[in-house]
Amino acid sequence: MSSSLKLLGEIRQSSERRPFEVLKLAEPLLNKGSITQAGDEVWLVYEQVFLAAVDEGQIDVAKAVLEILHNRFGEESQRVKRLYGLVSEATGHPEDAKKLYDDMLEKDATNVLANKRLITLLKSQGQYVQAIQELVSYLDTHGNDFEAWLELTHLYLDQHLYSQAAFCIEEVILQQPANHYFHLCYAEISYTMGNLDVALKEYLRVVELSTDNLRGFYGVKLTADRILDITSSRGSGKSKGPSHLKVENAPQKAMLERLSQLATERLLAIYSGSSDAMKKTLEEWLKL
Amino acid sequence: MTEYTVSVQAYAKAVLHCAKHPWATVHGLLLAEKKEGKIRFVDAVPLAHNWTNLTAMFDVALQQAQQYAKTKGLSVCGYYVAYEDTKATQLSASGALLAKTLVEADESTVAFVVDAKKLTPGSSAAAFVPHVYAEPQWKEQSSAFGESGKGSGTKGASFVLENNRVVAVTRKLVDERAEVWVHDFDEHLDDVSLDWLQNQALSERIRTT
Repeated sequence: MSSSLKLLGEIRQSSERRPFEVLKLAEPLLNKGSITQAGDEVWLVYEQVFLAAVDEGQIDVAKAVLEILHNRFGEESQRVKRLYGLVSEATGHPEDAKKLYDDMLEKDATNVLANKRLITLLKSQGQYVQAIQELVSYLDTHGNDFEAWLELTHLYLDQHLYSQAAFCIEEVILQQPANHYFHLCYAEISYTMGNLDVALKEYLRVVELSTDNLRGFYGVKLTADRILDITSSRGSGKSKGPSHLKVENAPQKAMLERLSQLATERLLAIYSGSSDAMKKTLEEWLKL
Repeated sequence: MTEYTVSVQAYAKAVLHCAKHPWATVHGLLLAEKKEGKIRFVDAVPLAHNWTNLTAMFDVALQQAQQYAKTKGLSVCGYYVAYEDTKATQLSASGALLAKTLVEADESTVAFVVDAKKLTPGSSAAAFVPHVYAEPQWKEQSSAFGESGKGSGTKGASFVLENNRVVAVTRKLVDERAEVWVHDFDEHLDDVSLDWLQNQALSERIRTT
């Protein structure tokens, strides 16, 4: 298998959005016909190229690839059908796309792809409330779709509905407790809401699940120091920091100091491989 | 009347940050030189393209940026944001709060929302929509940047790009895909070797365009 095909496969795996690169890699494969070296995966590659073409506004390329997929999978393929919706969306005809998705859902209300496209369409039209409603309704029947819960988290965050977002990410964590990324999201949401005790706990979980996770250790340092700051001045009678900051369930002072110390050590270790400028930046920050 | 000037380096870096993540909300800081009551934004420090409504990493990045700015004799008195919703030209609620953190440290802080419509190839207008703080709100200055020459607004602020090449130079860099040279704090958190404060290779690229 050519190195381009391998790279395309890696990009598919990581679900990163890199349309410019995908098109650059795919163009010679398409022109020379060597795309067929992908064997059975060739249809995945075509779909990937389609999505990249739509992202880059290369509608002619998208339509050409779509025709290839259509010829192979025919009218009845829902997976191909929703790509027509994407072309409509990309060419500024959202109403055509909506009609297509609605039709698909009428024939099969459980069609996941059409459901998700419809929700994304609503979002891109600025109809956030409706998008949220549709997604909530989708989750009623697909409660195990943690990616959908994650999308709902993002929709709530976009609307600054932090406690609703927190609820959703908690659902994601229930389903995927070993994924540090979701704990990180929960930590960040908690911090933003002022729940420093929860944030600290979740940042600790992140570094437990993912060795030397930089965001995790920055988070531990940030929250441990802030809690120490707040509890010491609250203890001394001076009220410091806004009263909405929750620190009740935080560890005791001695433990907080040890955690702060640990974070400092690990941060310095992580940055030891970095440039002098970045090391200096960290060292100055640690002195704050 | 406070005069704000935006240099090509500040403008181009911010726009290239947007170009690198066209489907996401991106935000960052602007660093300025202050001389004789005039404020000149000389650089942009890109922060994030993910979780831009969340404050933890923003707090870390802001502290580090403020320390860095001090070493260069600059002030962090600008915030820029480009929303995923390309129709948005007003500061969101969280944007307003983040910008407020800055204005509490430096009262000359201005927030700029990037107007996506003005980033299209045919446009020669500045894509920054300034928002000036008039407690407790941020007031949008929709006709700024030399269209009328004088900025209106409660605090009497005027905005101008440093010269008439800024938009064209930026356009050229976008067309050349120079956005690969932008590294924000988000990227730095995944790879500590990336210098998100200076982005020197990009600065050089802008300088020689």
